[in-house]
Amino acid sequence: MGSNSSNMNHIPDGQQLLQDTGFSAAQIIRLYERFEFLDKDNTGHLRPEDLETVPDLDMNPIGARIIGAFFPPGKETLDFGSFVRILAHFLPADSNRTRAGAQQEPANSTTGKLRFAFQLYDQDRDGKISRDELLQVLRSMLGLQVTEEQLQCIAERAIQEADADKDDAISFDEFRKSLEKVDIDHKMSIRFLR
Amino acid sequence: MTSRRGSHSPAGFGKSLPERGLLLLVLLVLLEGSVLPLGAAGSPDTSHHTKAGNSAGNGTGNVTHKKAFPVLSLDYHHIQTPFEISLWVLLASLMKLGFHLIPRLSGIVPESCLLIVVGLMVGGLIKLAGEEVPPVLDSQFFFLCLLPPIILDAGYFLPIRPFMENLGTILIFAVIGTLWNAFFIGGLLYAVCQIQPANPSNLHQLELLPCLLFGSIVSAVDPVAVLAVFEEIHINELLHILVFGESLLNDAVTVVLYHLFEEFSEVGTVTVLDCVLGIISFLVVACGGVLVGAIYGILAAFTSRFTSHTRVIEPLFVFVYSYMAYLSAEMFHLSGIMALIACGAVMRPYVEANISHKSHTTIKYFLKMWSSVSETLIFIFLGVATVDGKHDWNWTFVTVTVILCLVARVIGVVGLTYMINKFRIVKLTTKDQFIIAYGGLRGAIAFSLGFLLKKELFPLREMFLTAIITVIFFTVFVQGMTIKPLVELLAVKKKQEAKRSINEEIHTQFLDHLLTGIEDICGHYGHHHWKDKLNRFNKKYVKKCLIAGERSKEPQLIAFYHKLEMKQAIELVESGGGVKMPSAMPSTVSMQNIQPKKPPLAKPVERALPQLPKGREEEIRKILRSNLQRTRQRLRSYNRHTLVADPYEDGLGDLLIKKQKMIELEKKIKDMNNYLTVPAAPPDSPTMCRARLASDPQAYHTKSVSDSVPAIQVDLASPQSPDSVNMMDEFRRAGQQQQQQEDQGLTMRPPSRPGEAGGARDPQKLTRCLSDPGPSADEEEDEPFLP
Repeated sequence: MGSNSSNMNHIPDGQQLLQDTGFSAAQIIRLYERFEFLDKDNTGHLRPEDLETVPDLDMNPIGARIIGAFFPPGKETLDFGSFVRILAHFLPADSNRTRAGAQQEPANSTTGKLRFAFQLYDQDRDGKISRDELLQVLRSMLGLQVTEEQLQCIAERAIQEADADKDDAISFDEFRKSLEKVDIDHKMSIRFLR
Repeated sequence: MTSRRGSHSPAGFGKSLPERGLLLLVLLVLLEGSVLPLGAAGSPDTSHHTKAGNSAGNGTGNVTHKKAFPVLSLDYHHIQTPFEISLWVLLASLMKLGFHLIPRLSGIVPESCLLIVVGLMVGGLIKLAGEEVPPVLDSQFFFLCLLPPIILDAGYFLPIRPFMENLGTILIFAVIGTLWNAFFIGGLLYAVCQIQPANPSNLHQLELLPCLLFGSIVSAVDPVAVLAVFEEIHINELLHILVFGESLLNDAVTVVLYHLFEEFSEVGTVTVLDCVLGIISFLVVACGGVLVGAIYGILAAFTSRFTSHTRVIEPLFVFVYSYMAYLSAEMFHLSGIMALIACGAVMRPYVEANISHKSHTTIKYFLKMWSSVSETLIFIFLGVATVDGKHDWNWTFVTVTVILCLVARVIGVVGLTYMINKFRIVKLTTKDQFIIAYGGLRGAIAFSLGFLLKKELFPLREMFLTAIITVIFFTVFVQGMTIKPLVELLAVKKKQEAKRSINEEIHTQFLDHLLTGIEDICGHYGHHHWKDKLNRFNKKYVKKCLIAGERSKEPQLIAFYHKLEMKQAIELVESGGGVKMPSAMPSTVSMQNIQPKKPPLAKPVERALPQLPKGREEEIRKILRSNLQRTRQRLRSYNRHTLVADPYEDGLGDLLIKKQKMIELEKKIKDMNNYLTVPAAPPDSPTMCRARLASDPQAYHTKSVSDSVPAIQVDLASPQSPDSVNMMDEFRRAGQQQQQQEDQGLTMRPPSRPGEAGGARDPQKLTRCLSDPGPSADEEEDEPFLP
């Protein structure tokens, strides 16, 4: 542990990240290496183009959305701290160590994970997944294989199933309820190598 | 039907009926039990008679007498073997029937225990009759005839996703756990046998190697027993797949250990080279078995691609290829069980895409039927063989074996879980560990393996067999009976019954993509990454080869959606939407009793649809009939060149459309408050037909279940589909203003229909026990290869 924390000295906000997120020092170092690898021009910041160079991400139906999640509206660059904080959503939930300064809900709890996923749907950040947003997601996932009418029907059906307060959109609670049978912790966790 | 009647009738009457039925059954059983020895005794009598007749005839002269032409004669010998086999099967089936007439009993005692008791009784009867008990649990018969159906059933309906996700854990339990068990039990038994200073019993003769062999036989968790018990306790999917997967995969270990120790028992020594060879042999056995199974599976999938003209023999290919995979693996002394599992799991997604719905149903029912009968027979034979076998009861040996089995299992599970939890995302809790340890049941495989031992090499064979039987009885009776109350007591998570909603489906796919993307960003080649790659490979190359026609391109989400919509439409129809159907009455009754599981709707839903007056109905029918003509022509213009000319096919498709339109029209006319979104999907998509028939085929009294063809060319982006959509859109738009009430269909979708024995409502959840749904939710498997 001692040698690791000394290695972290060159990582910006290293100690802070250690406290805020649930990552171990080794994991943060590894992520920093990855960050530096992605940061081709060594500016210390990532831009969307850097992320787009990741292989296979262009084949991903929602690749663009994922990249967009790293760059909230208005920000064109991504520093290491934000990078790690976003990835912290995908830690398994039981690696929460009791941290002194943890006021709000940790990012890798079930709610945190779901909220992250919800924001990927809800691009305009109004707190609801509207029919259009759902259609966009469906369109990107199913692509050219289906007709527009079928997409409409599926979206219609999905909203009907989930919408409890009849506002023709899916709120975060409705979203969470429709996924209550899925083990989110298992489904949305990545085993970060030490 | 009986059970439904039973549940509706008042309690007093209901109680006497099943008990009367049971009494009848017991009488039948006794009758059969007595016929068997009588039958065996009968044959020498008749032959004796004929001989006597002949000799009498010859005695009177050299010329053969002209006897009177035998109008009626008894020749039991002629048909003895098949007759006895059929009697056993009939006995097994009647027993199964009987147990379900008494729900109280089957609630307390698991079926396997009852069957063993029946076997004991029958064996006792036969012995009392003075006849020789037939060698029913002959190892050859067991391994070649009784075991394969059960394993194939398990493998074909194996839930691939949880299995693959937990493969590491399962493998560790199966391989290392079994090895640990074998050596621990064998070694300690040997040690115990050596310490008998007072009375020099024959235990001293026991060498180390036979002990180890015994240990390896008795240490393997048995899939048959596990299936039989776990099916009734409805435990959550994770635990079920862990224990069950372990019981399947440890076959490879058992095979290797068994042969290893058997070989070396002759020689008497084991060298390091032998150990190394053993390890290599294990890899060969395991991987070879899987490879053989996969090859046959691909062959079967490929064959099913061309069966569109001979639908009738489609199920045969599935069964024959699987059985040949098993036999081929056994020929090379590879693991037959793993071959069967691999074959079933590999062929399933492709075969199901290719075969007709009828074949699909046939395969499902046949597999369940065979495996059910097999399992019943195995347990009965266990009982019979217990009565029959020559036993050598040795208190020390037997009790030490039982205790060691338990202890070894517990230590093994705890130790391994400690190691495994370091690598798992979702850790195994203590409760989980307890269930896994407690669920390690032994069964007939252990007995058969023991039976195979040669007497010359193992003088203490009878003692082994007695010990094995005791362990089996102990685990099946004690552990089997107590596991259910323990599960309740410990409040272990149970299986979740409800079906997936479209939301779940969409979101899980979304999350899959998300996780794959995140893994790519992290540069972490994890689970999702490889799964995604495999899926892509599957979609690009494999599906094109193995699936006929357009079906290979249909995305999974669409298929799922169609299925849902069809089911809903059918349910709405069945609820009596103006169409007079005999089964409509019970449907409406059961619908009204259902508690909606979805979030409570703002406005109360009017469930009972009033019947249309007859005149109106005729009017509607006339209108729709005229529309039907156009629809039929439209259907013709789809690409159907892979479609078999089935006269019923048109009727079915038309009927569905007609019903949907009838409902829409009725709503429009009647100004009602409940609506269903009209699915705009092309009506003759294969999954829709399959879904429709999956719900309740008896509801349709028109030209019954037709042979819906999955190879229908549905040109999904064809110019035709908007037409049919617009047709229904018309109706939908008409009723749009009243469409606040969503998915009345959803509230009507019953989670489980009361009174219908074992999910006939949803045959995809049919299990052999005909009780609650089993582990494999068939619906989930309409997914990509590695979902």
